[in-house]
This record gives sequence, structure tokens and C-alpha cells, in this order.
Amino acid sequence: MDFKFTEEQQMLRDSIQKFVREHYPADRVGARRKAFRKAPGFAEENWQQFADLGWLGVPFPEELGGIGGDLADVMVVMEELGKGLVVEPYFPTVVLFGSALMLGGNADQQQSLVPQLIEGKLRGTLAYMEEQARYELADVATTATARDGKYLLNGTKSLVLNADSADYLVVSARTGGDRTAREGITLFLVPADAEGVKRVDYPTIDVLRASEVSFENVAVGEDAILGSVGEGLALLEAISQRAILALGAESVGMMEMLYRDTTDYTSQRVQFEKPLAAFQSVKHRIVDMFVQTELTRSLLYRATMEVQGEHEDAPLDVHGLKHMVGKAGRFVGQSAVQLHGGMGQTEELRVGHYFIRLAAIDAQFGDTDYHLGRYTELMPIPEGEPDADLLPF
Amino acid sequence: MDIDYTQEERQFQQQVRGFLDENLPRGNEMWSKRDAWFKSLQAQGGWDVPKWPAEFGGPGWTPVQHYIWDRETAGRSLPPVLPFGQVMLAPILMRYGSKEQQERFLPDIRANKVNWCQGYSEPGAGSDLASLKTRAVLSEDGSKYVVNGTKIWTTMGHMAQWMFCLTRTSSEGPKQEGITFLLINMKTPGITVKPIFTLGGSHHVNQVFFDNVEVPVENRVGEEGKGWTYAKGLLQHERSGIAGISRTLTALSKLKKNARSVRVGDRTLLDDSSYKRKLAETEIELRALEFAELRSLADAQQTGEPGTASSILKLKGTELQQRVQELTIEAAGPYALNAGFKEAGPKFSKMGMMMYLNGRAATVYGGCSEVQKDVIAKRVLGIKD
Repeated sequence: MDFKFTEEQQMLRDSIQKFVREHYPADRVGARRKAFRKAPGFAEENWQQFADLGWLGVPFPEELGGIGGDLADVMVVMEELGKGLVVEPYFPTVVLFGSALMLGGNADQQQSLVPQLIEGKLRGTLAYMEEQARYELADVATTATARDGKYLLNGTKSLVLNADSADYLVVSARTGGDRTAREGITLFLVPADAEGVKRVDYPTIDVLRASEVSFENVAVGEDAILGSVGEGLALLEAISQRAILALGAESVGMMEMLYRDTTDYTSQRVQFEKPLAAFQSVKHRIVDMFVQTELTRSLLYRATMEVQGEHEDAPLDVHGLKHMVGKAGRFVGQSAVQLHGGMGQTEELRVGHYFIRLAAIDAQFGDTDYHLGRYTELMPIPEGEPDADLLPF
Repeated sequence: MDIDYTQEERQFQQQVRGFLDENLPRGNEMWSKRDAWFKSLQAQGGWDVPKWPAEFGGPGWTPVQHYIWDRETAGRSLPPVLPFGQVMLAPILMRYGSKEQQERFLPDIRANKVNWCQGYSEPGAGSDLASLKTRAVLSEDGSKYVVNGTKIWTTMGHMAQWMFCLTRTSSEGPKQEGITFLLINMKTPGITVKPIFTLGGSHHVNQVFFDNVEVPVENRVGEEGKGWTYAKGLLQHERSGIAGISRTLTALSKLKKNARSVRVGDRTLLDDSSYKRKLAETEIELRALEFAELRSLADAQQTGEPGTASSILKLKGTELQQRVQELTIEAAGPYALNAGFKEAGPKFSKMGMMMYLNGRAATVYGGCSEVQKDVIAKRVLGIKD
């Protein structure tokens, strides 16, 4: 067992912190985010800097131009981007699209797309969600009909992150089975400008970008298939695991900033002739924020290492993590807004932005309640007779 | 980062399992074979005193080895060892005690020959322990202290031969500075032990009265007036044990088996989704806390300090113990009324309520949760009073 961050991870962390200090200074977060409300919703020069600094190549193998990092490296990146409230589409492109390519793509697909992605010249996203599906990955009404060696895609995908700046969409569609069947889902690589793809773009509540994307007889070849025909659900689930780890890391970064900012604010603000933090009801609530953050961080490390090592408990702890991220994130976010009083209600301070982003994260890839349910299904029940010997406790 | 055990750690885990399979007495033999069990532990090279450093005859395990030992033993019933001597006092004697004191007391602690109790809390000194008033006055010839006052919540005080005790030798200056650490023979004239019955009628704790009790000066640990410093280090040992995460995981595992034996209509309690979700919610937090403990062990291994994650262990660990106890009496249903009769209701209900009642103390002793939060606020978050 080893829980240390490597020297390389520490350097990666430092370089992102430096970028955040320069481009996302704490006192300008509100104005900065407002400026990103219009498409593409981020700064192209920042994205190029991500490429130049090697961040886009973190999880990709060296032979494709990446730096050959693992999930713990991605965790470091996402945690720091989260602390900075960074809007550049690292999550959709590197985590969602990148995982789809690495977990499902064949050598040709990887070689033609990944090096360009790493250089900052190509972006992608995952179009998996449909309005009726809520959080069920297997609920897919979009169809892909085989015709003359091609597939015709028809249907509508919802809340597709950063689709308006993506070159490729990874689309889940039915090649067989009923709408909610676990079999018969296939993932396709679709150029965003393919004929028949229509988008309606909009900003989300956390000032990121999303689109409703419709497909009308969009024709793609067999070379667009990611993974195996009809077995796309397992691939979607694997991508979703990585998405949850990344969002978990981003959340833990934000939760840490929330208890730190709240400590600072309440230590400085004086009411009734003493700092707010000196009141025990305030102080203890901040400690509760810290405890929830540390618990969530612990589960994040656990789940990340388990997925990385293909550990048998990985699915269990990923569900546990997303449950915890939702529950603890809500508590920490609400507490920070509450303890900042009137200032917590404004867009001027970053606590409000963290609070909103945490609420948005809970609503993606399954919320706290959904994952508690999934955990309950997988929860190990030991064999054996009832055991009346409750000692030693 | 790597979650997997190394080759050596896996081997150690196998060694522990093999050892327990072979040597651990079961059921009725728990008492009759107790001595053989301790001998077999000793023969392994200090496994009878796992927390002791190698120079005092301990096994010198790494933090991960300790973790493995805890996990492997938590699921089995071990002949109990009271923690007061081995876990709480011994580290103090090793660090601050004289050579004579170490030679005199450590072997008997190790052999489980002498039971110790802790004399800290007083009726007027609970969370604010440093305000304690039990007075120790050095005789004119400097040969002994004369102790007067009272200690309360003394666990196993009625069974102990010795007490380690915080006494006040000075009222000058800050209250933390006039405290002296004494070792007191419980047979000394002038000591009275009165039982206190706690919720559910158990007798574990006592009030101890001192009426001109004479304690030889050679039973003072370290310097006069430094007792608070010594005790603070000891409290950390106490707290790391109180979290009891491995034990709570085992209790939860037993609870699942017990809940499966409870009929609800033509199904079992484990098929009740609202109950099962409560189990799941508790287990998720426990699995998170289990890893917080590992992070803390890893920090300790690297830096010698347990790290920030450790501060939450006692606070959250005791909460989760209580949560599992609550869910156990919920599982017992109407038989939560059972006060220990074998004949009525599911077997586990016999102990369930008792555990629940006794378990309330966990968020009070060893620094209550409210004080833990004050400590975290001050030490970890840097919040000023």
C-alpha cells in the first residue's frame, strides 16, 4: 500500500495552481464566469496552454503522445481545476471522450484522434443522456439502423456537455433490443458537423455549456463503431465510472475550498464584538464541513485506486463515492453559503459558484439517491447463520 | 498511489490468518485456553503486545501491518485484554517512566497479571479535565504523597489492582501546570470504590474516593507538575483505539446476517428497501472512514505524525458505532424490549439493547464529540477562540 503523491503529481498540481492564480484569481471569479456565458464558453488560448503544458495528455499512453498517467494523475488535475472553478472543457474532452476512445476505440480510431486531442486541436464529448432516461445509462431510445454497410442514427440526446465546441460526439444508440434493455446498445463516433446533426446550445446553471442534439438519418460507417456492436452498455458504465471519479475529485477540491473560505470569512467578520468563528455553533458547523470533506476525500482515493487496479470492490465504492459526493457536497455547499450570510447569496464570492457547481455535479451521472440505490443492490451480504455474539464492540 | 498490499504485506496477512486458525481458542475454550493463547502470541515475537515498540519487546510492525492485524482479528472473538495497562499506560511508562518503573510494571502488564484503571475524570472535571482537584501533597521528608479527593467514571475500578492517576500538586499558574502523574496501589488504606450503575443496569464504572492515601514518591511518573503533558500523549493512544472501525465493520457484517434472519411477512428484513438503504448509507461512511484511517497510518509512517485525517477518526468512528447499534435494535423490532433473556425473540436481541445503551458513552468518553470539534477547529483549522 502506498498513499503518497509522486513528485510528478506534485509538479502537476503546482503547475495547475499557478495557472489558476494567473487566469482565475479568486477576486474575479464572478466576473470571469459571467464572461464565459456565450459560446464557446471558455478561452481557446487557455485550451492551447493546457495542451502545451501536457495536461491534455495526462491519461493517454506515451505511444499516442500522452504522458502515460493513471487515474490518480487525473484526480490531481480535476481537483485543482475544481478549486479554480475552471471552465475549459477538460472533463468532456479528456475524461468522457478520452475514456471512450481508450476503453472502446480500436488502434485506428485511437491513432487518428488521440494525438490531435493531446495537441489541443480536437475536442469531443459524450452524447449519452436522453430526457426520459433520467440516470439510467441503459435507457436509450435513439436508434442506429444498419443499411447498406452504414448505420443511420435517429433520436435526440440531451444535456450534451460542450457539444458546441466539440469536433466529435460519442453517441449511444440502439442497434437492438427494447428501449431499456441492457443488450443492444452501441456507441458511435459521430463528427459533430455530420449531415443531419442539429444542435440547440445553451448555458447551464453552473455557467458551462450544453446542447440538445438531434440526429436525423445521420449516416456513419462501420468504422465509427466504438467497441462491439450491441455491447455498448458495459463501455458506457466504464466511462461513467471514470466520470464519477473525475467529478468526485473536482468536488473534493471545491469542498476543501469551501471550508477554508468559510474559516477565513468567519474568522475576519466581527459581529457582537467577536469573530463569527468564535461562536461555537459556527465553529462546529465548519468542523462538520471539514469532516465531510475528509470522508469524501478518503472514499475518492479508495475508489480511484480500486478502479485503477481493477479491484473487485471498485463498482461498489464508485457508487458509494457518488452518493457521498452528492450528500456531503450539498451539506458543505449549503453550510458555506449559510455561514457567509448575505455575502453567500451573491455572485461576487466564489463560495456561491462552488455551491452551484456542486449542485450541478450531483445531477450528473446519477445523484446521491440513485447511487445509494445502486450501492444497496451490490452491497455484500455475508453468508452464514445469524450471530448473537455482538461483542466486542 | 497503490491500494494493493505488497508481496510482503500479503505474506504477513497469510501468516496472521494461519496463526489465528491454528491458535485462537474458540467458544468455551476462550477462558480455559487463555494462557496458551498468550504464550503462542508471545512466541511469534511480541504479538501479545502489538502496539509496543521493538525495544520493549513488541513486534515493531509497520502501520500497514497493524491495519492487517486489526482487520484479521476484528471478525473473530479474541480473549479480551483490558486496554488500560497495555495500550494506555505502557506507552507513558516507556517514554516518561524511570528504568525502575519500567522494570517493575511492564512485565506484569504484558503478562496480564495486573489490571489497571484510569484516574482522570472527577465530578467537577470532565471535558475540562485540567480543572481537576484531587490533591497530592508531598510529605515533609519527601518520601510520599498524601492524596485526597475523588475520581469518577473509573472503568473497572472495582477489579483493578492499580490506578494511574492525575493529581493536583500545585494551584499556582496555569491549571495544566500543577498536575502530577501518580501510580496508586488500589489496596492502599483510605481508598473506597463505589459502583455506578449505568443505563441498562451494567456495572463497569465507579467512583473512587481517596482519604489521606499515601503514595510512595517512587510511584510518581516523570517530574512533578508535568502530568498533563504526559497524559495528553496518552489520550491520543486512547482515541485511536476508540474509533474501532474494524470492529464496527464486523458488527455491521453480523447485523446483516441477523437482519436476514428476521422475518417480515414472507420475506426478511434485508428485503425491506428502506432498512437496507440505511445499512448501505452507514456502510459507505464506514468504508470512507476505514480509508481515512489508512491515510492517517500512511502519514504516520512517513512523517511520524498521524496527519489531518486522523482528527476525524474518533469523532466519526464513535458516531458510526452508535449508528450500527441503533440499526441493531431496529432489527430486533419488538424484541428491543429484551433485557437479556435467551428465551424471547431472536438470539441477537438479547445483547442488542444492552450494546445500544452502553454504546451511548462512546461519544462522551475519551474527549466528548463537542470537545473533539473544538480541538479540530483549533488545531486543524486554526480557528481562534
